[in-house]
Amino acid sequence: MSQTSSISAPRALSARTPAIARRKSNRVRGTWPVLVLFLPPALLLFTVFVILPMGEAAWYSFYNWNGYGLPTQWIGTKNYELIFNNGAFRQALINNGLIILVSIVIQIPLALWIATMVTHRIKGAVMFRLLFFLPYVLADVAAGMIWRFVYDGQFGLVAGIFNAMGMSAPFWLADRQVAFYAVLGVIVWKYFGFHMMLFVAGLQSIDKSVLEAADIDGATGWQKFYRVTLPMLGSTVRLSVFFAVIGSLQLFDMIMPLTGGGPSNATQTLVTFLYSFGVMRMQVGFGSAVGVVLFVICVVLAFSYKRIFMKND
Amino acid sequence: MTETTAPIDAATASSGGRSERLPTKIYLYTSLTILAAIIIIPLVTTALGGFKTLGELRGNPFGLPSDWQWENYGGILFSQRYWLQMGNSLLIAGLTVFLTLAFSAMAAFAFAHVKFFGSGFLLNYFLIGLMFPAATAILPLFIRIRDLGLLDTYWGVVLPQVAFGLGMSILLFRNFFRNLPSELFDAAFVDGAGYIRFFWSITLPLSRPIIATVGIISFVGSWNSYILPLIMLNSESKYPWPLGIMVYRGEFSTDWQLILAFITLTILPTVIVFFAAQKHIIAGLTAGAVK
Amino acid sequence: MAGLELRNIAKSYGSVSVIEGINLSVEDGEFVALVGPSGCGKSTILRMVAGLEDITGGDILIGDNVVNELTPRERNIAMVFQSYALYPHMSVYKNMAFNLELSGKPKDEIDRRVREAARMLELEPLLDRKPNQLSGGQRQRVAMGRAVVRDPAVFLFDEPLSNLDAKLRVQMRSEIKTLHRKVGVTSIYVTHDQVEAMTLADRVVVLNHGVIQQEGSPMELYRRPANLFVAGFIGSPAMNFFDAVIEGGTARTANGLTFPFVSDQQLVDGHKVVVGIRPEHFLTGGALAGEVTFVEPTGGQTFVTLDLAGHQTMVLVSSEQDIDTGASLSVSAPIERTYIFDAEAGNRLSRN
Repeated sequence: MSQTSSISAPRALSARTPAIARRKSNRVRGTWPVLVLFLPPALLLFTVFVILPMGEAAWYSFYNWNGYGLPTQWIGTKNYELIFNNGAFRQALINNGLIILVSIVIQIPLALWIATMVTHRIKGAVMFRLLFFLPYVLADVAAGMIWRFVYDGQFGLVAGIFNAMGMSAPFWLADRQVAFYAVLGVIVWKYFGFHMMLFVAGLQSIDKSVLEAADIDGATGWQKFYRVTLPMLGSTVRLSVFFAVIGSLQLFDMIMPLTGGGPSNATQTLVTFLYSFGVMRMQVGFGSAVGVVLFVICVVLAFSYKRIFMKND
Repeated sequence: MTETTAPIDAATASSGGRSERLPTKIYLYTSLTILAAIIIIPLVTTALGGFKTLGELRGNPFGLPSDWQWENYGGILFSQRYWLQMGNSLLIAGLTVFLTLAFSAMAAFAFAHVKFFGSGFLLNYFLIGLMFPAATAILPLFIRIRDLGLLDTYWGVVLPQVAFGLGMSILLFRNFFRNLPSELFDAAFVDGAGYIRFFWSITLPLSRPIIATVGIISFVGSWNSYILPLIMLNSESKYPWPLGIMVYRGEFSTDWQLILAFITLTILPTVIVFFAAQKHIIAGLTAGAVK
Repeated sequence: MAGLELRNIAKSYGSVSVIEGINLSVEDGEFVALVGPSGCGKSTILRMVAGLEDITGGDILIGDNVVNELTPRERNIAMVFQSYALYPHMSVYKNMAFNLELSGKPKDEIDRRVREAARMLELEPLLDRKPNQLSGGQRQRVAMGRAVVRDPAVFLFDEPLSNLDAKLRVQMRSEIKTLHRKVGVTSIYVTHDQVEAMTLADRVVVLNHGVIQQEGSPMELYRRPANLFVAGFIGSPAMNFFDAVIEGGTARTANGLTFPFVSDQQLVDGHKVVVGIRPEHFLTGGALAGEVTFVEPTGGQTFVTLDLAGHQTMVLVSSEQDIDTGASLSVSAPIERTYIFDAEAGNRLSRN
């Protein structure tokens, strides 16, 4: 019988194989070719076109520069002072805030409500989902253009409605007071479908038996939704808000065909402001400073939101 | 075996359970029809508007055209600019998709399977790209493209688009690769495959779902993108269609019937492809959000 | 074909040591099973032999060559994985041909060898199928076919049957045994199932906490367990244990049960020991009497749980006897089948 309880002196024998060759890892043999072939393309592109420009934006933002030659005219934080004293920029900030507010208060509840409807077992539910998602797939530019027509006071649908009622048609997009609310309407029209789809996916991932258990427990439809469904959708709601916030900060493509930021800067967003005041006038320093502000807002919002609300997701 | 995580399937109806009662049905269909009307009326009137005369547009914005003006659409369809813009968009999007897939799949593979010093740090480096839009760095980006001599070339649009898409794409690919069973890797290794062989013969053939997802995200993003081409391209002959629409509208500022026809024709491919491949597109576009 | 030798191999992650100084030699053509509870390090050892895991100390020899630094392909080993790890996008044929293709074998040779292996494992009708069109047992056979086809020096099995249902497991067990008899390749088989290890292997190695507890033929382990761990691990249902102290040459529990045994060495009174008796070794009639608390008839035999002075004891009796819950039953433990272990060190003190 052989009993080898074998805790013997470690490495007694390994001295026999000369210490040359205990390479770090034999599994990893052939690591270098992969790393050298696979990483650099992405790394190079990303560094050159994402990271460096962001760094340069920070650098340029301290200069007054038109983009030619080298930036030489150091003006300190003057650009930032100019930005925050600019009425159009403040309007853009307010507008971006409004978009976020409308997204959270109107768009997401709307999307959730519609999602609960199109997850019922009815004929045509899938068709409705597709239809509601369609605006999200269209390009912002096209959507903006379509709604410019809809809002047009002479030829548009709004004009048609007002004319039919015997009133003279308003030019909403040309009205400082109204223009941005009109834009907000288009934003909801275009983006609620995306949030609806997130909720549809969230609703479908809820275990049916949980809802059946609630049925057995005697919950009414509303109670079931409020006490069971909604809490289980928590992470989807947080995700949805997150995308609404990030999306609002990027809004540009749709504004351009609708109003171009006008009338008199009433519909500027941060990015349209950057475009009209930085790019169009080739104010590289000023524009870069706007970019930096936008960057800081994005990062701060993303980080703090993730920290505070999405800890467990 | 390798039932890899299915993409979320929001486009198919669930089955089972009881069917709805009549009052519920009435409530559902009424609400949904009203909402559907709000979605579809602007789109349909746009398409129909392209068949009207300017005068009729004014008097009859909602109804069918009394006299179908086919030449509005015909003129655009037989013009070179429409096809040129579509071609430009297709070319730019094609290049973007190809490079995004190639670069991000390779990088993600390295992150998923190769242990190397600093890999965590490097991955986070790429994930910075998720946090801010291209617009924030648009001016230095313009200067960089100009200094590289890429202004007014397709590459001037494609390369930044690829670069800004890398963060999300690498993340999606990496998560997918890591969910492939690790025993496959061991088996291939025992069979004598190296990393590159494994990537080519095992990983890629198994990655069709995620390739489709990343491809769709990057294609739709590029097809619809406006700000990068707006800043990087000067000559109209290179314009993709979102820029083209704006130019067209500038030229025919009040000829709404022509503009509407043009819009309809430019979004038509999107709508057709969307309904033809809705399952994949919805899964693709929501995947970035869910994973 | 070749034997295999592990000399003092060790594995640690940072300062955490999972395998310490394992020594094991496997003869050419031998079938050795590594068995132990999950986390005992058996899979790690197998993966180190395969070259999928680095070793932090010691040497692995296949034949006469130290293979520490070789990649898996250079070691000429084949491995059957727990999940089979078939390439889902390749047909059965391609799965089996993959490694031959990688090593650049000519097409006709690949074809010949794949078909030969397929014939041996009765896979011929399945060669064009994809893995997801196969049943569990068929996948298992493909995984073995993939290993056989390359004519390796050593076969490694990593819990290959644990994904199958009980009936298939028994069937595949005999197929593995048949296969081994046919090809006669040195094999190492990792499992947590002691029955599987005992039925398949020429030699069983019991591991716990990264240390070899005992190695030997299946019956050796059953008859002469080296320590408490092996005694409790091998055998089903498990051995009964009683805490006791030595008193005048017998072991006596706190509640008064005494067990005579054949000692291997001089033991002083008061020495703390553990008495072990297998359920199947109790004889009916004797000094140990208690109430039957639980009866589990299984057909041929009946498992009886007996309350021996507060000690729930499993006893196996022939099903000829009718025993009811609540009845009293007296049994005895034969002296030559009573095991005594040191309570602290765990090693066996009785002769048998």
